[in-house]
Amino acid sequence: MVTKACTRCHRLMEEERCAICNIPSSKNWSGFLIILDPENSGIAKELSINLPGEYALRVR
Amino acid sequence: MIYAFRTLVGQEKNVARLLARNIRNSDIDVTSILVPDTLKGYILVETPSKVDMQDPAFKVPNLRGSVEGEISFEEIKTFLNPEPVLASVKKGSIVELISGPFKDEKAKVVRIDESKEEVVLELIEAAIPIPVTVKGDQIRLIQKEAD
Repeated sequence: MVTKACTRCHRLMEEERCAICNIPSSKNWSGFLIILDPENSGIAKELSINLPGEYALRVR
Repeated sequence: MIYAFRTLVGQEKNVARLLARNIRNSDIDVTSILVPDTLKGYILVETPSKVDMQDPAFKVPNLRGSVEGEISFEEIKTFLNPEPVLASVKKGSIVELISGPFKDEKAKVVRIDESKEEVVLELIEAAIPIPVTVKGDQIRLIQKEAD
């Protein structure tokens, strides 16, 4: 199964559409980030991520 | 605090996933794991406390230990917002191909397709100029603009 990324929230998924944003996901992404604790993470704050999970750094 | 962990090259994402799973099942305080594409063989682990490498949660295949010392948040900011590969390449730039059948050949940029991240090149040393289309990550900039 191909991993895809949401073009808005950058969340990684296998579905065609992002479950949160409800927009089509893209196969063209790079960089990988796992957020475990969004409340205490500086990286999550910098990228305004507030849900734990796997994210891409760049999505086209 | 951010620490760099050494991994086997090419296994960065797998190591990060396994490490995240182990951390979720333990009480270790790790807030995020960053795997930049440009940093081969390393993953960056963000944690509010010092990590104890002896902890069984860090027993992950292909993880080759940690790098001494901390990394400041300012240093990793460049990884969080990676600039497009073709940002510095212009029409007329001289580039070198770094992979593919024309590896190590020098070429001049004829056209740039930003939406597809592709460039059309003309090999300098070829007797007859033939346009070659390659992906943006297959080239390395040598000279910004041709004379």
